[in-house]
Amino acid sequence: MSSPALPNEPWEAVEVGEDLGSLDYVMTAEMIADYRRVVDNPHAAYPTVAARHPANLFYRKYRAQLRVPNTGHDSEYFNPPLPGKRINVSARIADKYIRREKPYLIIEATATDEDGRLIEISRLVGLARPIGEPAHAEVARKWGK
Amino acid sequence: MGQVGELKLKELHVGDRLPTFTRQVTMDKMIEFEKVVWDRGRNSHTDAEIAQRDGLSKPLASGQNQMAFLHELMERTFGDSWVYGGKISVRYIHPVYAGDEITPNAIVKEVVEQSGQPRVQLEIWCENQNGQKTAAGKAWAGQPSASRNWMLREKEHTL
Repeated sequence: MSSPALPNEPWEAVEVGEDLGSLDYVMTAEMIADYRRVVDNPHAAYPTVAARHPANLFYRKYRAQLRVPNTGHDSEYFNPPLPGKRINVSARIADKYIRREKPYLIIEATATDEDGRLIEISRLVGLARPIGEPAHAEVARKWGK
Repeated sequence: MGQVGELKLKELHVGDRLPTFTRQVTMDKMIEFEKVVWDRGRNSHTDAEIAQRDGLSKPLASGQNQMAFLHELMERTFGDSWVYGGKISVRYIHPVYAGDEITPNAIVKEVVEQSGQPRVQLEIWCENQNGQKTAAGKAWAGQPSASRNWMLREKEHTL
């Protein structure tokens, strides 16, 4: 593994396997309806599709040190959430690596409902940017926008 | 190359391309999307000033917008075979901005047997109105199913 092009001490301090804790919330019928409306899909099965689970737990711990603009997503889907059920999410650092001299973190979140049904396992691929550096500078550098 | 058309129960074969649709990304939708999925206040997906502070010239649509379009494509074709056991791996490779028109795509690359069940592997991507790929990756599901049990379960649960 080579070193990042820029010093990134917060990224270096993150440990693979690190527990990011858990959170829970009730998936309401209104939340499901709101998601379906905004994505123009009246039957969307997974209103949890967005990166909020892994990113939410990551930022609870690292908000002051790092940002992880989402460069990709790997997910597995098991049972769509049901309205009114409490969802529990736990997250961990699944991996970290350097690619093309840039530091990445893989943040994995597992969601189950109050009945123990596995809903999804979601892995956010994040480009680790220290606080103080423009989070999307890489997009600007690559695409000139 | 085959077209699946409306025959959702038709078995898919290597080279089949899924029928698709196009969605316009608007600033209003980007703002509402952020509020709905995780309301964390103004950010580079919703606010021009913050986008500029983050190195952009204007707000960038969240990659999850594209993920939602890919999900819809898979749900429409595969039904329960996607919803209960689907898998996706996608990378966001070109920025999407308000005003872009995004089309999700999928083509069957392989059909294998896993634990006695068929498993379809697809190459997936989104492209914008200029034909540029904005996201790319792979997805896996069983052969298309006519069942939409998640809708029934949800209905039963809310009655």
